[in-house]
Amino acid sequence: MTLTLAIHSSKGGTGKTSIAVNLAVAFAASGKNTCLIDLDLRGPSLCSMFKPRSHFWINDFLSGKCSIKDTLTDIRDEVGTKAHLYLSFSNPEIGEIRDLVSKDRDWQAGALKALMNGKKELAERGLDVIIFDTSPGVEYESINAVAASDMVIIVHNDTSACTSCTEQLITGVYSLLDKKCAIIDNMYHGNCLDLIDKERYGVPILATIPCMCEIATRSKEEVLVHTDPDHMFSKSIVSIKDKIEIM
Amino acid sequence: MDSELLEQIVTNLKDINSKLDKLIVQVENRDEQVSEKDRIMADSLDVITLLSLPDHLRTTATTLFEIGPATADEIAKITNKERAVESNYLNQLVRMNHVVKYREGRKVYFRINDSLKKK
Repeated sequence: MTLTLAIHSSKGGTGKTSIAVNLAVAFAASGKNTCLIDLDLRGPSLCSMFKPRSHFWINDFLSGKCSIKDTLTDIRDEVGTKAHLYLSFSNPEIGEIRDLVSKDRDWQAGALKALMNGKKELAERGLDVIIFDTSPGVEYESINAVAASDMVIIVHNDTSACTSCTEQLITGVYSLLDKKCAIIDNMYHGNCLDLIDKERYGVPILATIPCMCEIATRSKEEVLVHTDPDHMFSKSIVSIKDKIEIM
Repeated sequence: MDSELLEQIVTNLKDINSKLDKLIVQVENRDEQVSEKDRIMADSLDVITLLSLPDHLRTTATTLFEIGPATADEIAKITNKERAVESNYLNQLVRMNHVVKYREGRKVYFRINDSLKKK
């Protein structure tokens, strides 16, 4: 059974991509064949961390121009994970992003269908885990990803704006689509040791990660969960992975 | 040849030309009207529309999205509802133009409407 996760947040800059990448590496390192798909089509970021070797972008797949396997780059040997770690990149060219913004509802309806089919194809190819990194808020691309996933991982940061919007997303989107959800409290400014909630808005909290500049600065060059497994962030990621697996 | 007759022929040809032009414009306009009507009629199901459906229809539509073309019976097995109930919901979705109904042999199948993609 393939597990499909959508990493989403109500606001931007909460650390979705860092968590998505580290989580993908953690799954692959534990022997699960994993695929990380950059569905932040409006602000692609995966291509700034890894180099695509595929001929097609995920954008091409969503437009029906290729099969999902044509968009994959396997980075198992580069990173040195136990199982395969496939990446599917979003096209960072500004022309492509401008084009995307003008796509209509019908394209988005087709994109959702493509995503559902892509997920089936990846399951048939023996993938154990699929992770969608999404754009923040209620955008077609991210809600398509939520609809195509089994579970939504909400990356939440410690601001009041984020708090009220997260609650709305849970009641107005995720629950309506019958999705399992879990929250990661990221960039937490309080004292993590006194912690705190096990649950918020009826949704379990998987981890609370303190705000550390180091996570952002080092993530430019390395995947912490792989290069520094004893780091507090890496330990949190592994515990998040373990909790997701038993949910 | 009689020059008056030639002139008459030229005038008639010009007349025919202008009538043809008018016909071409009319046909083009009509095509535009038809495609505009199609656009309104065929209401393909996107995820935001899915969210705005009432709960019972949303569950049915989401299931159909996930398993692809299916019979009411196949949907009912997944949603744990009666076949007749799902059949009713699916037919509501068909009337809303979100879902297409078709027959294969004796079985009636439903699929998400994506007619617009082939435009």
